[in-house]
Amino acid sequence: MKEQTLTEKLLLRKVSEPILSGSEYFRIPIDLVLGHDATIALLIDRFKKAGQHIWDPARCFFAADHFAPPSTPERADILNRYLSFVKEESVPEDLLYRGISHQLLVEDRRCQPGMVICGADSHTVMAGALGCFAAGMGSTDIMAILLTGKVILSIPKSIRVRLTGKMPSCLFGKDIALEIIRRIGEGGALDHALEYHDHTEMGISIDSRFTISNMSVEAGATNGVFVPDETLKHYLERRDASAQGGGLSVGAGFEAIWLQPDAGADYAQHLNINVEEVPPLVALPGNLSRIVPISEVEPRPVQQVFVGSCAGGRVEDLAITARLLRNRRVAPGVRLVVTPASQTVYYQCLRNGIFEVLAEAGALITNSSCGACGGIDKGLIGAGEVCLSTSNRNFRGRMGSPDGLIYLASPLVAAAAAIFGRLVDPRPLLEEAGIHNFHSDPWPSRLGVAGGSL
Amino acid sequence: MIITGNALVMGDNVNTDVLHPSQFFSLDDNKVRSGFMQAASGYEQVGTGDLSGRIILAGDNFGCGSSRETGARVFVLAGVRAIVARSLARIFSSNVRNLGLLAVECPTLPSLTESGFEVEIDLENSTLDIGTEGQRFALKRLDPFWEAVIREGGLMGFLGFNNSQ
Repeated sequence: MKEQTLTEKLLLRKVSEPILSGSEYFRIPIDLVLGHDATIALLIDRFKKAGQHIWDPARCFFAADHFAPPSTPERADILNRYLSFVKEESVPEDLLYRGISHQLLVEDRRCQPGMVICGADSHTVMAGALGCFAAGMGSTDIMAILLTGKVILSIPKSIRVRLTGKMPSCLFGKDIALEIIRRIGEGGALDHALEYHDHTEMGISIDSRFTISNMSVEAGATNGVFVPDETLKHYLERRDASAQGGGLSVGAGFEAIWLQPDAGADYAQHLNINVEEVPPLVALPGNLSRIVPISEVEPRPVQQVFVGSCAGGRVEDLAITARLLRNRRVAPGVRLVVTPASQTVYYQCLRNGIFEVLAEAGALITNSSCGACGGIDKGLIGAGEVCLSTSNRNFRGRMGSPDGLIYLASPLVAAAAAIFGRLVDPRPLLEEAGIHNFHSDPWPSRLGVAGGSL
Repeated sequence: MIITGNALVMGDNVNTDVLHPSQFFSLDDNKVRSGFMQAASGYEQVGTGDLSGRIILAGDNFGCGSSRETGARVFVLAGVRAIVARSLARIFSSNVRNLGLLAVECPTLPSLTESGFEVEIDLENSTLDIGTEGQRFALKRLDPFWEAVIREGGLMGFLGFNNSQ
């Protein structure tokens, strides 16, 4: 048999014949389907016309995260429609107001390496960090999956991304994601898979990996998968041990399958990135076609800094923000909005002292949800305002007024912007704060309370 | 199948957030329709105007970004007849075709500026004719699966379910 990429292995083990003669599309059985209040609500009426029930509610991973809690009466109605549907269809409904669906998925032990996961949201790709095939799609595709248990997909060719070097304290998953897009272009991975091989010293943290997989879709990729390794194994051991006794019981069919790409697999492209050579990067407003080192960006004033979203609201992101803001204040006139990606992140930051540092510095901490990313609530920008965001999209109007500007960067660049009230190279601050080995000890115990380490 | 219409030209990397800003996400078709192109610079007036019978001619990576299907549905609600782009973002092209609207790639499509000329798409022969000077370009052949989906008026029709939207 032909040697296979990881994505080919993940998909081809489940299929044989194409859907039609001469077609490159296959019907592929699904292990989990992700949905949220907004995009599931869109399909309810049409789903009911099909006159059937969900093929297997236990394989639905639905979370209310967009309009949760709702910010307008119309969105309250949409949320309620979603909640009634979930109840009628007997979908497990313990994921209300718990955070962003993508983050909840990777925190949940139903999500295991080797799975095929489709979701009604483009950032479903994030679960690729756990060695899954994970792809986003629209409501009609998801409706078809809910009715049949299968997705219709072509098998993408892969771009192999080899990461080497040692992660410096000034570098985060966001920078690596932006570096990839800087090299291959905004649509550079269109209809392809990104396959990440982490050969860095110590390995890239799981939080940064989530951000890299998450932003695969910003390069146009169908999915972005990390080759399973020790870093993943350690994460899952810790995750699944702490989940024992709580949460949902996980039955048969949710086991991990550890797959590796073949050494002789055929790749469309090879990308080699030494992380030590990547500077902190910024995506200039509008789209992802202009990505430049922060040192080359004009020191423009910012009115808002947003640390949140499924691409920048995890413990690692909040930890670096807090370490820079410790014993400092957010610049006058700047609003720093911090939105943890999930309640698990929220509680962790509550317990280990990160929230205390952030609150003392003047940060506005919100409940965990999608929040300002996607222009939903709590931190929208007005005409002429400039926002530096750790989220994944800087598109015109994405966070409010079409006449506001969104820059994307790592939480480190975000924290520096909050302190100075303008876009600034964060590296001198890192030096000043004496942070030399962030990635081996993101939140030293001396900073927090007992039992609150990361 | 031959489809003719009047061209509406758009650029490269036009994302779904500018084509349909999230503030217009709704279950109400009127609200969805009113948001068409409301963050696409220079297209705000065009978006809310009469677009029935228009054919979009766009550049690379058209429809990148969000999977919100309101961003695809709005093309149907506006009466757009087809979408041709040098390349199409995967989620968006699936969303549009799943609703029965043709979206097809034309890798050699040049960068265009002026809208308003006549366009003819010949699906059987995979050709695109534009303007009065008889410029002809090759379309990327649709996979037989997508041909069948378009023929059946969308994915639900292809799968044998009630296809009304």
